[in-house]
Amino acid sequence: MIEITRRRIDANAVLESVRRDDAGAVVLFLGTVRADAAVAALDYEVYVPMAKQVLADLAERAKAKFGVLDLSIVHRIGRVPLGGDSVAVACASAHRREAFEACAWVMDEVKRIVPIWKSIPPKRARRSR
Amino acid sequence: MRLHVLLFATYREIVDAKEVAWTVDAGTTVGRFLDAFVAAHPRLARHRGSMMVAVNLAVADPETVLHEDDEVALLPPVSGGCA
Repeated sequence: MIEITRRRIDANAVLESVRRDDAGAVVLFLGTVRADAAVAALDYEVYVPMAKQVLADLAERAKAKFGVLDLSIVHRIGRVPLGGDSVAVACASAHRREAFEACAWVMDEVKRIVPIWKSIPPKRARRSR
Repeated sequence: MRLHVLLFATYREIVDAKEVAWTVDAGTTVGRFLDAFVAAHPRLARHRGSMMVAVNLAVADPETVLHEDDEVALLPPVSGGCA
């Protein structure tokens, strides 16, 4: 599963997309919008056709590099609220070591090469009562 | 020949457009195109060193030759994923 979506990420669906009988390990990574004084949400902008291509290629390279059985990447775009999931990576492999390593490597590459940009929207001023 | 120039993030704000139609001579390279485009939008100049260019969805270097109707995307340093 390679997806770019404006909807809330269905983490269970991402997990189930890689689950298979010959996998002894399934790892799910979720990147979330962390609490910060200046941040109530993050806005994600994307070059959709290139991002999909880069993510698909990344998944294939990860499978070849780590020998994992399957790998899914879902990145959310638009506004993601505090605590929300902005990216999900799920990986299935025969053994756990390569699943963990593949997930970590994929996330490093997502941050390095996928044409997605995040920005902090201005916090709304509190209304006085 | 005609190019479709796409802008993202900071560059969108600087040029005040998501997409710009641009005309170049046949045989123009990415580097030559950028020279002219940045000259027309001088506030992009300080970003040129960190700018990535994609032509028809593939990362391109300054020597890449452009063709009619190419989609040329100017990409700032990416920042996807979580913190």
